[in-house]
Amino acid sequence: MKELFSYAFHMLVFPGGVFALCLGLLLKGVDRKVLARMQRRVGPPILQPFFDIVKLGRKETILPASGHTPMFRFAPILGFMGMMVAAMVLPIPGVWNGAEGLGDMLMMLYLLPMPALALMLAGSSSSSPYGAIGASREMILMFAYEIPLLAVILAVAFKVGHATGGVAEFSFAKIVEYQLQNGSLIFDWTMFPAFLAFLMFIPGTLGSVPFDLAEAETEVLEGPLLEYSGPGLAMFHLGAALKMVVVMGLGVVMFFPGTIPGGWITNMGWFAVKCMLLMLFSVTLVRAAMGRLRTDQTFKFYLKYPATLAYVSLGLTYFIR
Amino acid sequence: MQIAEKLQSMAARSPWLYRINAGSCNGCDVELATTALIPRYDVERLGCKYCGSPKHADIVLITGPVTAAVKDKVLRVYNEIPDPKVTVAVGICPISGGVFRDSYSIPGPLDSIIPVDVNVPGCPPRPQAIIEGVAKALAIWKTRI
Repeated sequence: MKELFSYAFHMLVFPGGVFALCLGLLLKGVDRKVLARMQRRVGPPILQPFFDIVKLGRKETILPASGHTPMFRFAPILGFMGMMVAAMVLPIPGVWNGAEGLGDMLMMLYLLPMPALALMLAGSSSSSPYGAIGASREMILMFAYEIPLLAVILAVAFKVGHATGGVAEFSFAKIVEYQLQNGSLIFDWTMFPAFLAFLMFIPGTLGSVPFDLAEAETEVLEGPLLEYSGPGLAMFHLGAALKMVVVMGLGVVMFFPGTIPGGWITNMGWFAVKCMLLMLFSVTLVRAAMGRLRTDQTFKFYLKYPATLAYVSLGLTYFIR
Repeated sequence: MQIAEKLQSMAARSPWLYRINAGSCNGCDVELATTALIPRYDVERLGCKYCGSPKHADIVLITGPVTAAVKDKVLRVYNEIPDPKVTVAVGICPISGGVFRDSYSIPGPLDSIIPVDVNVPGCPPRPQAIIEGVAKALAIWKTRI
């Protein structure tokens, strides 16, 4: 009973739930503000995503008449819950140890595409042609970016596994522990291509500008989200905010999980700062500098550059022990 | 009670804009595009954002005299916008018909078809006038959410 209560607390309040939601919405606000400053305008207040969520919660829900209503209602919850669990599994260095399981990294690999799957369900159940186009584009995008992600995760697992005397290490807690003792993997030249590949993977998985083909406002009118209004849309935005935290946290844990002296509060702030820096370089800067790519260009890009870089790292970890 | 008021004031700071072109000559649409999309007259600082879908919208900006051909479509799109919503008529055409007034192809000014909250006259209105119209619509939006 006590254990159940503690699981519920960890999922709903501290590493998942309230904390991750607030951090994610804050990251989104910083992203919008910094983008505005890069374009030399004032920009919205940093708390703008919170206002958007509150407003969407108070709006009317309109269901499409010819859509599949149960699936239409279920899709946002699927993406949101998947990301809640993922936020609970992910460790925060110096604060929270994560799931401490043997294969939580593999679990993350299955949890990360949940929002994309939810978008596909939403698009195909909404009975809108734009939604269907958005869903098919999201599927193509997912096939493209999952391959470099898999190679990056395998490279990190093999690197830590070889160094600790095994074959591969799929536990986040062990990976963080190894890096706290032997220095972060980002300073290891064999892992640098994998880090670059991960940087290129981030905008794709978050659907931000060069790869936002699934939700392209000017082409498919926000695609799968087209028919959503009110609380359902708010759920999708919350899921996206959680995904921001999970993806940035994954980058921090895999490549630079260093801690700073002080208690758990300073380490939590340090984690937030590192997430924010990673976001500024991989999302905001790219978003300000680039326009959207076509679907075929996106697919070719992901299979050419990040996949090659990640495989180079994978090969180097295999041959240089 | 206090929490409800706090939530209401938070919600009122996030109006999303949606544009309907009801047979406009594109002059007002260009002014609308330059109002929000260029850095100089940035309306994102008010929390506004142009959205692609009418189902996400809070403030509707309508340009053009409502021609007979688009009247039904305008009504249909307007009914897809979830309540509460605020309507802004941009340009002289939706207000009075402008130079197209009394034409056989104009079934009347906009407010005879849907309720209009704010009028922004001009042919086309200046970006500053559009921003003022959006700010007035914001004040109405605050009382409705």
